[in-house]
Amino acid sequence: MFNQGLSLDQAPPISVPFRFFITAPLFGIALGLLFFFFPTDLLINRYSSVAIGGIHLFTLGILSMIIFGAMQQMMPVLAGAVIKKPVLFANVVHTSLTLGTLFFSASFIFEIKALLHVGASLLAIAFLTFFAVLAYLIFKVKFLTSTVNAMKLFTVAGIITSMLGLYLAYSHISNEIGSLHYNFMYLHILFGLFGFATILIMGVSFQVIPMFYVALDFPKFIQNKIPLFVLTVLVVFGMFLFLELDTYVLKVLFSVFFVLFCVHGLNSLNKRRRPVFDVTLWYWKLSLTFLLLSMLNWLFVPQDSYFLLAIMFGLGFLYSLLQGMIYKIIPFLAWFHLNSKGHMIIPTMREMINEDMIKLHFFIYTASVFFFMISPFLSNFFVIIAALLFIISNILFLMNCIMAANKYTQIAKTNPLDAFTQV
Amino acid sequence: MAETISSFLTKDHRACDEVFAQMENEVASENWANANKKFEEFRGDLEHHFNMEEQVMFPAFEQQTGMMGGPTAMMRMEHEQMRNVVEQMKKDLDEKNKNHFFGLSESLMMIIQQHNMKEEQMLYAMADNHLGASSAQVVQKMKELER
Repeated sequence: MFNQGLSLDQAPPISVPFRFFITAPLFGIALGLLFFFFPTDLLINRYSSVAIGGIHLFTLGILSMIIFGAMQQMMPVLAGAVIKKPVLFANVVHTSLTLGTLFFSASFIFEIKALLHVGASLLAIAFLTFFAVLAYLIFKVKFLTSTVNAMKLFTVAGIITSMLGLYLAYSHISNEIGSLHYNFMYLHILFGLFGFATILIMGVSFQVIPMFYVALDFPKFIQNKIPLFVLTVLVVFGMFLFLELDTYVLKVLFSVFFVLFCVHGLNSLNKRRRPVFDVTLWYWKLSLTFLLLSMLNWLFVPQDSYFLLAIMFGLGFLYSLLQGMIYKIIPFLAWFHLNSKGHMIIPTMREMINEDMIKLHFFIYTASVFFFMISPFLSNFFVIIAALLFIISNILFLMNCIMAANKYTQIAKTNPLDAFTQV
Repeated sequence: MAETISSFLTKDHRACDEVFAQMENEVASENWANANKKFEEFRGDLEHHFNMEEQVMFPAFEQQTGMMGGPTAMMRMEHEQMRNVVEQMKKDLDEKNKNHFFGLSESLMMIIQQHNMKEEQMLYAMADNHLGASSAQVVQKMKELER
């Protein structure tokens, strides 16, 4: 029997998530290159223009890019929410996010204010389009799970982050950097990293870890309450900032929430019922360990430049996890779409991307994070080594993704019935 | 509290996952005789689960809601897709092709879990809602279905 159209009615075409996933490492390469053209001292000073440009190559070009792509794939499955015109939606969001990030970051890196107008406008289109559609779909979902609830909170946090971002961009455009600018900036960072990124990662983990690794469920308290607590504390954090109250107690709360999540996540992965080797587990474990370490670092170690914390949280926690997820999603989608179109002779998921290449990528990426981390203690020279390794790791990531996409394209071009005419 | 369609079938999903993991472990340790045994157990459990849905729950849902070509039709097609992959895995077991087996078992796991999410988060909840008091009878009939 041929499975023409199986389940594909709900899933977007494969080109939709792939374009987002393949664009992300290109921004990774661009970020790595910055370290070769600008003084390290500028790049690790978070208030410098170049650093703002570099940070947004990561948060927009990598983090948001992968999250937007993955959400379009996950929403029909995890929430039953189907985007009506997936290709049009992906075209608008992907194009405006890619160009918006380029213009936005370039405006800060090269200090050309005219580019900021274009960049901020394009980013406004990308984020507003994405969140308007997401909010419309996700708040209609009738049967609520912890993942759907987390997606709702992610939507709220994402909208707040975007609004704060637009306000900050407007302040730069109009040269009106007021006394409250740094409060808004701090909130933009916190809502983005804790609300937009971490709440979503938690929500997805609640489903993905127990189901795909046949592992323990997260305790109900963590699933149902922690994402809500995180968003609540984010709002309270904003109030504390503007009332000029000490926020340490709120930092303790954030750390407790995330440490609880990490401990249960790691415990669940370690006690999984499927001990079969899987490289993506390395990424999950590395990522959760870094989230744990970065929260402890934030809480207990006085921060001079926040560079170390940014590396641990951004690269150690966020990017590792996203890479691990992509290495699961891309081979599966390539296999699934071909299988569903009725192709009989296709590589299995494990044959779509060479496992040794994923391992090589993992080691080079981990080495890059390591060198970034030791550089503040030893010498800026290590930043250059780290940046070089970061570029290589992103090239490998890109090559691995393209390898699977090529295998898919080659087979998709053939007629499924050809399998019967081969002798 | 009476068992709902959702709680009963969700529990059965987890039971199938458990046997699936045991089967993978036997293949990983290349214990082919046990692997075959576990494979047959898994195939039997999976088929029984599909039958409970296709012969009892889906018809009851379709009759109650009038939705013939909707979510149940989609779920039936996905069952068929899973059956196909399971058959291919059998071939790998016969040929003791461990690598290819794990390539397929990984894919099957992903399809099963995506399928389960849709059922557990939408279809089962819809079925319990629509069938109301008769949910308990549907569960009873599913339990009585022969393996």
